[in-house]
Amino acid sequence: MNDQALIDKANESLKDKVLAITNPAPRRIFLKVAVENLLEAVNWLKKDLGFTHLSTISGVDLGQSFEILYHFANNYCSFTIRTEIPRDNPQLPSICELIPGAILYERELQDMFGITIQNIPDPRPLLLPDDWPVGNYPLRKDWKYERPPEVIPGGKK
Amino acid sequence: MRFQIPIGPQHPALKEPIGLRITVEGEIIRDADIRLGYNHRGIEKLAEQKTWIQNIYLTERICGICSHSHTTCYVQGVEKLMELQPPKRGLYIRTLVAELERVHSHLLWLGVAGHEAGFDSFFMYTWRDREIVMDILERISGNRVHYGINTIGGVRRDLDELQVKYILDSLEILRKRSEYYKNLGTTEPSFVARLAGVGYLSKEDAIALCAVGPTLRASGVPMDVRKDDPYAVYDEVPFEVCTADTCDVLGRAVVRIKELFQSYNIIEYLLKNLPAGEIAVKAPRRAKPNEVVSRYEAPRGENIHYIKSNGTDKPERLKVRAPTLANYAATIKMLKNGFIADVPLIFAAIDPCICCAERAVAIVDARTGQEKVVPMNILKQISQKISANKERKREAEWPL
Repeated sequence: MNDQALIDKANESLKDKVLAITNPAPRRIFLKVAVENLLEAVNWLKKDLGFTHLSTISGVDLGQSFEILYHFANNYCSFTIRTEIPRDNPQLPSICELIPGAILYERELQDMFGITIQNIPDPRPLLLPDDWPVGNYPLRKDWKYERPPEVIPGGKK
Repeated sequence: MRFQIPIGPQHPALKEPIGLRITVEGEIIRDADIRLGYNHRGIEKLAEQKTWIQNIYLTERICGICSHSHTTCYVQGVEKLMELQPPKRGLYIRTLVAELERVHSHLLWLGVAGHEAGFDSFFMYTWRDREIVMDILERISGNRVHYGINTIGGVRRDLDELQVKYILDSLEILRKRSEYYKNLGTTEPSFVARLAGVGYLSKEDAIALCAVGPTLRASGVPMDVRKDDPYAVYDEVPFEVCTADTCDVLGRAVVRIKELFQSYNIIEYLLKNLPAGEIAVKAPRRAKPNEVVSRYEAPRGENIHYIKSNGTDKPERLKVRAPTLANYAATIKMLKNGFIADVPLIFAAIDPCICCAERAVAIVDARTGQEKVVPMNILKQISQKISANKERKREAEWPL
């Protein structure tokens, strides 16, 4: 298995669903697909190429949209599938059917970016506290933390 | 009847805050649920406001045991972004510290496993010998926990002849002691009986749930980032990936003991083949807009950082996934259908005191199958109400 063979296979099987495919360093491949084709790409990667290990899912706030990166790995290389979703309607399909280990990362995405994951088996918050104010998503670029004013019970002496 | 036992987040027996909710039926665990976030410090957000150099020290503080894992993972990613090639000697020293860290982490784990299995002398022995590694690390870096040895483009401290000799001498003691633990830990019948068959995780489940590190390797999957995706100097160092096929806590202990010996060999190889030369190159302040996926085999498994730069002296995004998070999904699987007494062993680092946890009870109505959660005092009242109207058997005999 080598990088070029993987890229050729991607172009062969996914054809025009491949929006971009890059190989910036040895053993690193980035494949870009539209969000409608995400499940198909993950399925292809798992079934045909044997990438069963999902390392993590990263989210990046690009301003107008969110970029979601699914980092897969096998015993040869790290294969990243990336997709972009609009910021005003952040919807993403769940890949837990294919990769059950993705659940914690998807719950983290929901908490941190306010992305709605469709068909997620367990949509409860994972990291943020139960009394976290609604509509605050810490890893969005426009979210700034302001320390609440300190209140000393009983007042200052 | 099912009981739900909440353990944590703040609990006298837990070393770290984590919320565990375990549903038991008698002694058997039927379901387990994990609630995270009690220790969430917003490091990914903070990293976006700090410079490349400042972030080395920030990532070092993600973890207190595998601090070197996070800095190495971060630093080798940033080096790719800045198109730097660190000198050979620097990479050798970086790898040396990484392997010493693996040794001290595995010795610590062995001790904790011994303690949870009720074999406290094993715990004290391994932790005494862990001090030898800590002393070596202190000699090399000046610190016992946060070594602060990595910098962008190499390492910050060089090794001299005396230090090399000291490490090699200490290594001899460690080898001898580990040999003893290997015999003791794998032949002592009560210890083996306590670990064998506990926390079963089949190979298929381990792969499906994306487990990493010794947990995955103990289920018979030979996956090790050092071999699969060699970073630093692992492509020149001879070593083997250690696996076990028993899929239980015993297998995880065997994998870690085997890895100890591999680490000793790697350390010896690195010290005997240490190249001469510079230890670091100068790094620029800014990085061109780019992105990189950096992987590292920490003592607990695969550690991955995704770093994106935007041309300034600060990262656009730093995503960190520590190995423990990847293993939680598998841990829940391991806990299910196990015994409640095995929770500490399976959760190894957690030592929960179950009887003093506050409790709520879920009653399953046998006829309707409906569940409801009631506190203990209500349950007592129900039982009193039921038993109050019952005819008492005065002449009841003990059925034996």
